[in-house]
Amino acid sequence: MRLLWILIVISTFSSCWPKVKPGEPRNNTQKVFGYKPVYGAETFAKKIIYANTPQPVVAAGNIYVKGDLIYQVETGKGIHVIDNRIPAQASRVGFLTINGSSEISIKGDFLYTNSYDDLVVVDMSNINSISEVKRVKGAFPEGRTNYFFVQPPEPGYYECPRYDSLVIGWKKDSVQAGCYKN
Amino acid sequence: MKRTLNKFIALLFASFLLWSCTKDGSNNAASAAGKGGSLSRFTIVGNFLYVVDNHFLYSYDISSPTNPVKTNTSAINFDIETIYPFNNRLFIGTRTGLYIYSIDTPSIPSKLAEARHARSCDPVVANDSIAFVTLKGNSNCGPAESGLYVHSIKNIFQPVLIKKVLINSPEGLGLQGSTLYICCNNEGLKVFDVSQPANPAEIRTVTGAYFKDVIPYGNLLICYVSSGIILYDITAPINPVLLKHITN
Repeated sequence: MRLLWILIVISTFSSCWPKVKPGEPRNNTQKVFGYKPVYGAETFAKKIIYANTPQPVVAAGNIYVKGDLIYQVETGKGIHVIDNRIPAQASRVGFLTINGSSEISIKGDFLYTNSYDDLVVVDMSNINSISEVKRVKGAFPEGRTNYFFVQPPEPGYYECPRYDSLVIGWKKDSVQAGCYKN
Repeated sequence: MKRTLNKFIALLFASFLLWSCTKDGSNNAASAAGKGGSLSRFTIVGNFLYVVDNHFLYSYDISSPTNPVKTNTSAINFDIETIYPFNNRLFIGTRTGLYIYSIDTPSIPSKLAEARHARSCDPVVANDSIAFVTLKGNSNCGPAESGLYVHSIKNIFQPVLIKKVLINSPEGLGLQGSTLYICCNNEGLKVFDVSQPANPAEIRTVTGAYFKDVIPYGNLLICYVSSGIILYDITAPINPVLLKHITN
């Protein structure tokens, strides 16, 4: 019941926030209801973690195959690992968290990917201890300003992200909307 | 004594064969690269990793796998989208044309040719003599007519457009022998017989998903769809048989 009240109050107030439409003159000091970037500290955003727990596909990305495993990028978030020993029973078996990732290439036991503007090498030889073995910082300078989470998931006005920080997601809030996504 | 010597020579010969195999690397499963789709921006050929962002082609020497060393950066064009390797060539798809680079000197790719086209999105796959490009014209990509564009690359320095087949919303594509698979988003996966490249014959369309890209991998066709992955058996390449839709 209490939750219901909170929801009603929130929805009432949120409808009061002015919604700026495309083409209308904008006032940067005026607040609107839109997307606000969620930042991750550099060390957190660029931390690589592997877990034997399959994750759902939200934004399916590039695919790659080597041996009995198929890999699929979860755009901006990491890489799904798929057991393909018996294709008719293939299933996701794990997830490699690599924020800012969109690409995969593998040679031998080593997986090469991008994390924002970095080139990252991941040792895949032991599924129980998958780890980052090399990071070439700033290898792809465009990756600092051009990555999946640099824009919110839906069209509309949003708070422009700072390029000196890394966006790891978006939340709806009252924002100073300086940017617009078509 | 003679027998022993013969044995010794045979052994020496065998070990030499084995040694040349490992040195070649490509026959060694442990150090071999895997296979990516046509929408990739990363690709590994031999001891080199090639990466394209929107403007540049980066070459990294990965002969020491944990210590990539950049050997070259080439400014190519605006709006690079994809990279596809075949033998000692790199095929680079951009929104304004197809670029072909030689990696005869793998540390420094050199441009051989370009085939310009109207603005569009355009992944590419190729073999020795033909490059298949799909162009997708829309509000984001550009005004080109959507379809399959077949270029003869018999003269690698001068690609010639030999056929255009109009198709709605083509995206990633994959070549298996003389069978070409084209992902057409909501319209399905189109299967073409390209044994006569100048006259591709549409065989069938597989529907039921939003198809983005494919990797033909032996008898397996791995499809990147909006919900994840679908696998087909392509023992008969022109007749993909559903094996598994990996759902959430």
